Amino acid sequence: MNWVGLQMLRNDRAKFAAMIVAVSLAVFLMQNQAAILATMLSMTAAQIRDVQDADLWVTEPEVECFDQVKAMRDIHLLRVRGIAGIAWAAPLLKIDAIGHSEGGRLNTVTVLGIDDASLAGLPHRMRVGRADAIRELNTAIIDPGGHELFFPGEPFKVGRSLRIRDRRIRIMGISDIAAPFTGLPMLHTSRSTAAALNLGEQHMTSFILARSAPGSRPEALCQKINTLGGLRARTTEQFAADAMWFYGSQGVPMLFMITITIGLIVGAAITGQTFLMFIKENARPLSMLKVVGTTDRQLGTMILLQGTVVLVLGSCFGSGIAAAVCNAIRTQPFLRSLYLPWEIALGTCLALASVTGIALYASYRHVRGLEPAAVFR
Amino acid sequence: MTPLDSSAVHCTGIRKHFGEDDARVEVLRGVDYTVRRGELSFLVGPSGCGKTTLISVIAGLLETSSGEVSLFGNHLARMPHSDRVLFRRSHLGFVFQQYNLLQALTAAENAAIPLLAAGVRRREAVDRAAALLDRLGLGSRTGAYPRQLSGGQQQRVALARALVHEPRLIICDEPTAALDHATGEAVMELLASAAVHPDRAVLVVTHDSRVFRFADVIAHMDDGQITHVEPGRRTDAATHLGSSRLTNPSA
Repeated sequence: MNWVGLQMLRNDRAKFAAMIVAVSLAVFLMQNQAAILATMLSMTAAQIRDVQDADLWVTEPEVECFDQVKAMRDIHLLRVRGIAGIAWAAPLLKIDAIGHSEGGRLNTVTVLGIDDASLAGLPHRMRVGRADAIRELNTAIIDPGGHELFFPGEPFKVGRSLRIRDRRIRIMGISDIAAPFTGLPMLHTSRSTAAALNLGEQHMTSFILARSAPGSRPEALCQKINTLGGLRARTTEQFAADAMWFYGSQGVPMLFMITITIGLIVGAAITGQTFLMFIKENARPLSMLKVVGTTDRQLGTMILLQGTVVLVLGSCFGSGIAAAVCNAIRTQPFLRSLYLPWEIALGTCLALASVTGIALYASYRHVRGLEPAAVFR
Repeated sequence: MTPLDSSAVHCTGIRKHFGEDDARVEVLRGVDYTVRRGELSFLVGPSGCGKTTLISVIAGLLETSSGEVSLFGNHLARMPHSDRVLFRRSHLGFVFQQYNLLQALTAAENAAIPLLAAGVRRREAVDRAAALLDRLGLGSRTGAYPRQLSGGQQQRVALARALVHEPRLIICDEPTAALDHATGEAVMELLASAAVHPDRAVLVVTHDSRVFRFADVIAHMDDGQITHVEPGRRTDAATHLGSSRLTNPSA
């Protein structure tokens, strides 16, 4: 009988299509908005997660995220290095400055000064050039979004330069780091070069990057560092989570959740209403099926299958569109980090299925209540 | 053999009302009615006399207010709902006035519905239904959808649906009402020849007097009661005509 149910569904092409379109659009809207939200939140932690050679981040106690910078005294670096179980620790200097391109483009840039000796925190993936070229004074590598801002429409090329605080910084490569939440160009350079740009500042350390020695648990090391006083140590994931929570708690996710909820409600309402209409318009055939001995259980399975087909097809189309849009948007340098996590894809489909399930249940109740004798009238 | 043993349908004192108090409508007022095995029985009467309600009660689709219905010795009212559905699936076939074919299915698939409901595999069910349609003169139209069939052809598909699972009682509700005279006659011929069987009964509700000659027994109903029962005029000729049509679709 399931096959009969599917044929009935297929035969009512207008409603079948309307339901699939409704589910597709709802899934697309929810996934698109959820993906943007997830991407934005992950971007707040992108610079933390991009540093793969360190597993500990040490900051001033007040610092909540990567974009909050409070200069640290150099003595702290020595204190961290002195902890048993720390394999190495290196400073990372972060400053904001105004950059000018040769073509006259001007923009605020985030400059990350990486420890000259260890190069800890250097991007691991490059699109063009070599990352370790920054050892040379007054050189840097820039991210793709930054390159697009300063050299719009031009192909990636090594050798261009930026002027920052009266210094000419030569671009030695294009990094492949995740897009930053701030949207500012990210310039990785040596700490020596960055320090020269950090005019008038006494302290040249914004973060301390550290690596736990083999056999040491990063969490335990964090506790040890925190007991020193005046420092706050977190594992990479803890710091990333703090950063996402810091931005996430400022209301933006709520705006996205409103849109996602609207998508869920509208999609489920249209799908559910159309499905209920489909069932009600088929009351007579369904009554006939009851008369000839189709059980309520068989009819319930038919309805469940019909609903499942609509939801699966709609979810596949919607997810496909969402993924295609996501991929198309990712070609933009500033939006290169946009991604659609599978958890979101699955979660939105299940959420819609749950809400639409109410309509399926209502449809089943309607069919159960159908008076089979009505078929004689 | 007692009357109950030889009966396909045995109704005693059937009462059925709808609504309560001021809105109460007494539709069946103590109906005693019997259809014997091997019989083609007509239930006739004016519109609103309770014919449809009576066949709904007989088919177990409506509960009686009082009285008992026995089908081949089985008391439907005493069965749990689920057993009643399964009994109907196995032992009853239905032909409706408006055919009630599923527009999404071909003729053979429509005719196969009772088999599909009983869990027969789709291919086997459709093959059996197609073979029956062939016997009913629709062999070349098994793949046609209802919208591609004439009224008479649709009713023949409905007849095939009523017969395909070889039920013991076939209930027909105004099977010729939506058909012109010639087509209605042809459908009745098929019904008389294909459905009547020594261990099977056919109950036809109609007010189409033109087809009364196919009946073995005609029960007249009025105002919720059987007023009188008379023998019908079904002849061997009618049966023979139907049989010849079965074997020769162009007849």
